[in-house]
Amino acid sequence: MTLNSGMPLAIELALFALAVAVLLKGIIGRAGQDPRATESAESVGRAQRGSGSGTGWMTLFGLLAVFVLTFFAEEGTSILRGSFVQDGLALFAKRLFLASAAISVLGSLTMRQYAFSRRSAEYHFAIVVSVLGMSILASARELVLLFLAFELMSIPLFLMTGFLKREAVASEAALKFFLVGTASSAVIVYGMSFIYGATGSTALEAIPAGLADGNPLVQLGMVLLLAGLGFKIAAFPFHMWAPDTYEAASTPFVAWLSVAPKAAGFVALIRLYVQGMGDSMLAWIPALAALAGITIITGNLMAIPQRNIKRLLAYSGIAHIGYMLIGLAAFSSSGIAMLLFYLVAYMFGNMGAFLVIETVSRSEQSDGIDAYKGLAQRSPLLALSMLVFLLSLGGIPFVAGFWAKLFVFWAAIERGLYGLVFLGAVLTVVALYYYLVVAQRMYIDAPERQEPVRIPGLLATAIAICMLGVVGMGVYPAPWVEMAQRVAATLFV
Amino acid sequence: MTGLPVLSIMTWAPFVAALVVMFCARNNPLLVRIVSLIGATISLVASLWIYFEYDRTAAGFQFQEEFALVPSLGITYLLAVDGISVLMSLLTSIIIFAGVFASWTVKNRSQEFYALLLLLVTGVYGVFVSLDLFIFFLFYEIAVLPMYLLIGIWGSTGEVRPQGIFGWAFGRTGVGTKEYAAMKLTLYLLFGSAFILVGILALYVTGGSRSFSFLTFQQMTFDPTLQTWVFLAFYVGFGILAAIWPFHTWSPDGHASAPTAVSMLHAGVLMKLGAYGVVRLGIGLLPDAAVEWAWLVGLIACINIVYGALSAMAQTDLKYVIAYSSVSHMGVVMLGAATLTVNGLNGSVFQMFAHGIMTGLFFALVGLVYEKAHSREIFKMGGFATMMPGIATAFTIGGLSSLGLPATAGFVAEFLTFLGAWGSNYSWWLFPGVIGAFLTSIYVLRVTKQIFWGPKSEDPHFQHLPDAIGTEWAALGILVFVLVLFGVAPGLAVGPIDTATVPLLSRLPGQ
Repeated sequence: MTLNSGMPLAIELALFALAVAVLLKGIIGRAGQDPRATESAESVGRAQRGSGSGTGWMTLFGLLAVFVLTFFAEEGTSILRGSFVQDGLALFAKRLFLASAAISVLGSLTMRQYAFSRRSAEYHFAIVVSVLGMSILASARELVLLFLAFELMSIPLFLMTGFLKREAVASEAALKFFLVGTASSAVIVYGMSFIYGATGSTALEAIPAGLADGNPLVQLGMVLLLAGLGFKIAAFPFHMWAPDTYEAASTPFVAWLSVAPKAAGFVALIRLYVQGMGDSMLAWIPALAALAGITIITGNLMAIPQRNIKRLLAYSGIAHIGYMLIGLAAFSSSGIAMLLFYLVAYMFGNMGAFLVIETVSRSEQSDGIDAYKGLAQRSPLLALSMLVFLLSLGGIPFVAGFWAKLFVFWAAIERGLYGLVFLGAVLTVVALYYYLVVAQRMYIDAPERQEPVRIPGLLATAIAICMLGVVGMGVYPAPWVEMAQRVAATLFV
Repeated sequence: MTGLPVLSIMTWAPFVAALVVMFCARNNPLLVRIVSLIGATISLVASLWIYFEYDRTAAGFQFQEEFALVPSLGITYLLAVDGISVLMSLLTSIIIFAGVFASWTVKNRSQEFYALLLLLVTGVYGVFVSLDLFIFFLFYEIAVLPMYLLIGIWGSTGEVRPQGIFGWAFGRTGVGTKEYAAMKLTLYLLFGSAFILVGILALYVTGGSRSFSFLTFQQMTFDPTLQTWVFLAFYVGFGILAAIWPFHTWSPDGHASAPTAVSMLHAGVLMKLGAYGVVRLGIGLLPDAAVEWAWLVGLIACINIVYGALSAMAQTDLKYVIAYSSVSHMGVVMLGAATLTVNGLNGSVFQMFAHGIMTGLFFALVGLVYEKAHSREIFKMGGFATMMPGIATAFTIGGLSSLGLPATAGFVAEFLTFLGAWGSNYSWWLFPGVIGAFLTSIYVLRVTKQIFWGPKSEDPHFQHLPDAIGTEWAALGILVFVLVLFGVAPGLAVGPIDTATVPLLSRLPGQ
């Protein structure tokens, strides 16, 4: 059964319905409670079992249902005169957003913080709306729709960063993220205005012709768009918001924030710079290669001195963005395929690592890497999963990250970017240094306490899912590669 | 291929043993050791079988096993051995077999120790027998990575006081600690593997054959400029593992900090992976570049020989002496390869084998001495021969092989190498080689005299020391036996080596 071609919006409509339902559930659940009663400490647990986790479960199952729905969507349809397309890339990206959001929600279901249990509906509403924004973004083939989707995605993210509104760091991080985010949106709109002014159209199909004419305004617009999207994916030199935001926001949310919005940024980059652009973009290869190289260098070098694991992963995440940009810089079908593969591998590895961080920080009340001392002797399985996630991020064989790095290098070598590949390969060793520092804490240093880390069941499930993904993709990457190649091939017809 | 997949059995037996150790032998130290021993024995038997069944009249690769893993990318599980790999697998088997005995006394977390050790060995076997470059690389990574934990957890922290103009800088990095050594070793070797990966990918993409098979690559002729830099990438990448100067500094630190069995394996076998890689991929696939860069490889090898020997002379820590002697001896291996003559290459491979056994023996002995006397300070110990005659004898035989005395394996290796050097385009290479052998005799004899044969130390700690016991004899006996056996009957090794080196060199331009 496929959804008939009149319904390419089914996924977005379902997400919208889910958002409304979550909000209503929150309001109804709240009405039944005495607002003052929930303020007392002992009622927190009750609130959690009540409406708090209720909306959480509802969101989780809703997201999973929509995820299943994506497999019934008909590929290759478009509406609104080609502004909204449901092609392979869109569906691929939507599945990625939904899966990562579901893992994040699963990880945050047992959040202890007071605010999460009481304002659970707001939190989950924001997630669903942001996913809705991403979902529209993935299908947008038109400048205005693209921009609207970007805003719909971003504004809930600002809210969720500052969700613990009584904590100063959270407010600070949210403000910083908000200012950087809106500034980048402004840059994007500015760039779009040039493109529209020069080509007279907001459709992406008009851009190649504009570029072929050698119109400098179109060129300028594309540069500005690249800068604006650079903010969104946290590429150098627009990366500064990431570490502060990651440090202050709640960890399961960060797990998602570090993956999904960046994936959305890459989808937008692919739509703008690759799809249907033909050979007109080949001139951009040196610029993108340089951007990739600098991003890799900055991320990896800045990660070395970090002693807070969330900041460490933030910088390492910046480096990973650089590696994904290598795939983009290859400007080939295989390059894009490998970028998509990288995104999936990064999703499992990075989210898994953040979920382990959440587990440890709940038990140790610390995000410092010294909290991991002797973890291997306290909770061997938890330490093993962290090690596997870190090795995957580091690009070691038999876990997903190895193939991801290998494949982007491969694509870049096919394009002849030997220098960039050398740089990337050498800097993976730098990355392994700081991952191994964490491994050293876990496996070599003696534990300060003996009792095992308490792992909530739901978090353990989420970690296990990521572990399965990382190891599964590492041992048997072929089906994922074929899927990514199939998606990428449609962009180059 | 017909019959038993004997190469796979040899490669994966330690891995299976590691799994069994990890999951079925919890809290049972004796069972851990027995399972490990069984795993090592299976591999030993398999490699002996390969050694005897290897057809010396037919050149080329034998015992081929093939299984397509990822057909769309051309990745094949392709195993086969030629004369060089036969000998290297045998070396690996002997060292791990002795290593299991040598680490019998590991107490702390012995289950994980043995599991990692066996995993490492699977990687080593895999590198020596795989002919698919991709699988080769995967095995290479398996052989490198467990080292970090092995040294970091079970290593020992040496007494190193950094001196010289950069002393303050080294002091700040924590030089001498096991964490430092483990990190340094791992990063150096992974740095090398990054070069190797880029080289392999470059060959794959430019070759355009959609296959990673060594045999396919061998049929192709690569563009000379590509060869030039890919050879350099391979040379640096593998050379780091073979401890070429100036990338050798991980090796003394790493080997001195590692636990006994790990030092044995690493210095004895893993460093050979580097030299093997240069010979197999460098000379085997890029013949033009091999001739072009022979001067560099030989020059660096000469520096290695002399510099390593001089550094070894300056050490006061016994384990560092042995570690630096490895740097010097690996220079002989690389020198033999750089000569690009049959004699030289035979000497090179023979030296890989001889040095592997010898250095394994040395590290086993140092471990034993440390276990009995709790000291590695050469000038505090003295006159141990009266208390531990067995260890003293074994150490002396090892030392004599190290300085190249006839009737030991070391002699044959150095003789062949120097013969090759004399016959090569750069006959002056002979002199650094001989000077190295001379310097080796100084530091080896000095150490042997001081610790074992000299006047007895006054130190009360060193008055009543036991000799080797039980399983320790097993490790020493095997290694000494092999060392002498291959010294008196070098044809045992040269026979199979010849079948591999002659066809290898015949592909070089101008031959």
